[in-house]
Amino acid sequence: MSLLSILIFLPLLAGLLILIIPASARNSYKYVALAAVCIQVLISAYIYLNFNGDVYSGVDTEAKFQLVERVPWINLNLGAMGKLQIDYFLGIDGLSMPFLVLTSIVMLVALIASWEIKVNLKGYFALFLLLDTAVLGVFSALDFFLFYIFYELMLLPLYFLIGMWGGIRREYAAIKFFLYTLFGSVFMLLVIIGLYFSVTDPVTGNHTFNMLSMMDPKNYVDGSIFSALANAEFFGISARLIGFIVLFIAFAIKVPIVPLHTWLPDAHVEAPTPVSIILAGILLKIGGYGILRACVSIFPDAAVQSAWWLGLIGVISILYGALNALAQKDLKRMIAYSSVSHMGFVLLGIASVTAEGISGAMMQMISHGFLSSMLFFLVGVIYSRVHDRSIPNFRGLALIMPRYTAFIMIAFFASLGLPGFSAFIAEAFSLIGAFNSSSINGLLPRWMAVCGSIGIFLSACYFLWTLQRMFFGETRLMGGDKWKALLTDVNPRELTVLCILTSFALVLGIMPSLAFDKMNASVLELIRLVNLK
Amino acid sequence: MPLLTFFGSLIFRGNVIRGGAFAICNISLSLILSFILFMQVWNGPAIHEQFSWFTIGSWELQVGVLLNNLSVLMLLLVSGIALLVNIYSTKYMQGDPYIRRYWAYLGLFCFSMLGLVIVDNLLLIYMFWELVGFSSYLLIGFWFTRSTAVRANKKAFIMNRLGDLGFLIGIMILFSQFQTLDVTRLFGADGLVKAAVVSGGSWIGSAGSMPAEWLTTAGIVFFLAAVAKSAQFPLHTWLPDAMEGPTSVSSLIHAATMVAAGVFLIARVYPLFDDTVLLVIASIGAFTAFMAATIALTQNDIKRILAYSTISQLGFMMLAMGVGASGSALFHLVTHAFFKCLLFLAAGAIIHEMAHLKEKSGKDFDPQDIRNMGGLRKHMPVTFITMAIGSLALVALPLTSGYLSKDAILIQSFEWAEGSAGWHRLIPVSAMITSWLTAFYISRLIFKVFFGEFRLSALTGGHVHEAHAAMRYVLVILSVFCLFPVFSFHPLLFEDAWILQGFPQIDSMTRVNAFHTVVPAAVNLISIALICLCYRWYAATAKAPDYSRSVLFKFSQDQWHIDRFYSSVLVSGTTRFAGLLYWIDRHIVDGLVNTAGALGRRLAAGSRWIDRYVVDGLVNFSGYLAGVVGNFVRHFQTGRLQHYLVTMLIIILTLFIFKYYTAAI
Repeated sequence: MSLLSILIFLPLLAGLLILIIPASARNSYKYVALAAVCIQVLISAYIYLNFNGDVYSGVDTEAKFQLVERVPWINLNLGAMGKLQIDYFLGIDGLSMPFLVLTSIVMLVALIASWEIKVNLKGYFALFLLLDTAVLGVFSALDFFLFYIFYELMLLPLYFLIGMWGGIRREYAAIKFFLYTLFGSVFMLLVIIGLYFSVTDPVTGNHTFNMLSMMDPKNYVDGSIFSALANAEFFGISARLIGFIVLFIAFAIKVPIVPLHTWLPDAHVEAPTPVSIILAGILLKIGGYGILRACVSIFPDAAVQSAWWLGLIGVISILYGALNALAQKDLKRMIAYSSVSHMGFVLLGIASVTAEGISGAMMQMISHGFLSSMLFFLVGVIYSRVHDRSIPNFRGLALIMPRYTAFIMIAFFASLGLPGFSAFIAEAFSLIGAFNSSSINGLLPRWMAVCGSIGIFLSACYFLWTLQRMFFGETRLMGGDKWKALLTDVNPRELTVLCILTSFALVLGIMPSLAFDKMNASVLELIRLVNLK
Repeated sequence: MPLLTFFGSLIFRGNVIRGGAFAICNISLSLILSFILFMQVWNGPAIHEQFSWFTIGSWELQVGVLLNNLSVLMLLLVSGIALLVNIYSTKYMQGDPYIRRYWAYLGLFCFSMLGLVIVDNLLLIYMFWELVGFSSYLLIGFWFTRSTAVRANKKAFIMNRLGDLGFLIGIMILFSQFQTLDVTRLFGADGLVKAAVVSGGSWIGSAGSMPAEWLTTAGIVFFLAAVAKSAQFPLHTWLPDAMEGPTSVSSLIHAATMVAAGVFLIARVYPLFDDTVLLVIASIGAFTAFMAATIALTQNDIKRILAYSTISQLGFMMLAMGVGASGSALFHLVTHAFFKCLLFLAAGAIIHEMAHLKEKSGKDFDPQDIRNMGGLRKHMPVTFITMAIGSLALVALPLTSGYLSKDAILIQSFEWAEGSAGWHRLIPVSAMITSWLTAFYISRLIFKVFFGEFRLSALTGGHVHEAHAAMRYVLVILSVFCLFPVFSFHPLLFEDAWILQGFPQIDSMTRVNAFHTVVPAAVNLISIALICLCYRWYAATAKAPDYSRSVLFKFSQDQWHIDRFYSSVLVSGTTRFAGLLYWIDRHIVDGLVNTAGALGRRLAAGSRWIDRYVVDGLVNFSGYLAGVVGNFVRHFQTGRLQHYLVTMLIIILTLFIFKYYTAAI
């Protein structure tokens, strides 16, 4: 039992414990969950501190992964079809380790935000912890089958969390979210099976779901559909390209990209605050992580082929998301669209296949994890007080909630890329990488980076406009004095959360080496793999 | 040593706690340190210290501090003026409920401004560049309950962001071309930019090459950054609005230091500019100077006049940069910092008194409107004298510092035009006209404010008196810095100025001696004539001809309609476009998704119908059939023996007959 397994299954055990505890002790649920998540934070901090980024560069070599755990899981003798080999295969490298830390912290934040939840506590916290397990599993699984199981496992708790504890249109949002994601992942399963039949384990000779084996062209069976040499084609398009596109769409729905993003505003707006935090803070990153881990690593040739389109989608997402955010009247929806815009930088950075671009994209995911959690948390603060979050209904909040306004300003300015905060480094390097790409590998034209930088400008517009409309000026509220009494400044619990998130964004902005040092080697390894083709 | 200054200025952030005294202590400390550094570095070897900040991929980012003539001069200037403004603010901002925030913001500004001038890496300059913009955002919106102030700071930040965009693109181009962002390695004497050559339509750098247009683009985007920060046309409209902040802030940030950062940036990246870009810089500078001066002619808000005057003077600096006189540009930057800071602080003193008067009398009037003032020279003699000195420096009359620097710019631009094509001469000529306009608008201001009778004495009855000592001394010190001996012992010849000698002289231009006498003479004689005219119009007879109905007057008073154009065309255009996109998002993109969902539901309903009536219908039908058959057969199951016997008999008979006849057939 390695540290990773403990990390992954600890929340599950805690969830089971909650199911067992009788309903009369329902107040203890949140403390059980809190204990589990706190231990998880400690473990991931330990993993972070002991992670040696230079040695364990990972990506495609098992020996270069840290905390590897590989146990045969399902071994079926299928007679003529050979042996079915599925391993319980975990391990981390510089691409996944940062997300384990991010997940633990965002989960902690989401859990503290869950104090507001008042109904059906048993179900809520059990599902919450199940979700936690699934997310951590996705980030550490190296067997594609295992990865897929964890990936699908996330949907179940999320569906219920949105559908049962959400806002007014929660059922619509939950179903939309569920079907959208399922649509992507069902086709992903087909590709996984195709890969399974194409790849053999170099040691045992069996077909395998091992992702690392899938990254080595030598392991492909001659004449199998995804073999690079066989050059199999469907409808005149090479099978590997199709495989790439299908996997990409599955993950891109999560990211999300324009035009597959419309689940996001609905799901974010209807979800309860903690679930919005998890959605924006972690789930979107699974999309980006999946693109790096699965799409680009397994189909590097196809990734290079379609880099131009990826970059274009990134730029469109940045601009389209930003302009949509500008048009919003609902604060939460505005932030949801800003997420679309910010995640566009991730795609642009990845598409550049340069060290700066991919590091920038990774940094953007981490930074957006903290900042979007903070933003949704802040919306939650105001919504829990007056059950309204429409921008025109508020004015001059700075006078009655000065500390809250200070945090809103920090979150807004950090999100719009003020230097000193993590988003600045992330966006700057995604763009620098994208611009540099045409000099290094000629994948992306320079205008894409230039257009992308307009997104930074637009983000200043929508954040500052909101700030001006909601927080400054003389106080004028839609609900009059009743609201004024309800709108108290942040309480100590909220203050704790906000301070945690602010400090992470600030520390990463001032000392980005804390993150870069851990992932540099992996990023370079990934680029080497792609250039190898 | 430079690291010490760096940390010294970092301490500023903590100054929330003890307020003014602490802030002043800190800024004096950094002034002393800057002075020591200045003595060490000026005309000596530059200090350059670096450490590794972070590594990304295999590229290590080295950052550090670079102190050369340019940066120590700026260091001294910024910390010096910041100290004076800090002292001034203790009285000016007294009694404000949010005074602690004020000191904190001011500290943040000083930190980022000092950081901006000493760091050696473009990425770091960019960071401090934005931080400067951010602290200016905070300070403009210091009185955040005023909606005009909040709108002004949003506008300032967004316009500056547009410039930042240019800066970022410039960084991308240079990084891609040279794989380094170190200022010395890029722009040093034997730097990479100089080593890069343009040949065969492509620009070849040390790490890559790209089409030659990108060289021009790089210059233009850096200039765009400077345009936004230094409020040049077409991004100048934020500066007049930024006057919503406290006057001390306007004086420090929006007159003396921050707006000069654009000029500083141009000086830092100067080797990058090719001829096209330099021409653009010169033209924009000249145009801005002219435009802003014409606007300043008709404004009535004292701070607005000074703001447009600042824009105009910054235009002069840009013009100088464009014609290759970078030393003169920086010289003018320094002299302008002092006299404009002085003008603003003096205006602040007046506004302060007027606001007091307004409070006392309870009447409603605009304390910043010069039409409400007049005759103040009797009540505020120190303010009057110092402000007059500042104005003389602004007009560039002999014996002032402004004379030295502005004449340097004018003469050099004439020399530059001499060596270029015909229409280039428009630039120095327009600059000369601008300096006459300057003489007019500033003397209009002085005469309206200080001469004649106090226009509100009937309304308020109150008396205005001299500003507080702390404010007064600051004004006096500043006015000393507006006089020539500080900069050059020769009152008439700019070439003797020590600041100019600290920067590389341009030798491409031939010295045309005629200009050195004709230009200053022309400027000064006509300026003096205009001042006299002003005196007759606004002070002596107080009967100015009324032009307020003329088209030109309105054009100028409405600030060339630029602001109106922006808000009605660009801003509402963008928001409308955003609204349109959102509509598309809701109804087309999401509409497709919902249609797919609805289609799915229809399909499901259809298959339900089929399932119910066709598939299930068949099943039910077979069941029904079985039932019917069963019912039919049931009739035979009567339970009576006789019936069974009869049935059996019939069956046997039938079988028998059947068998019999089949055999026969």
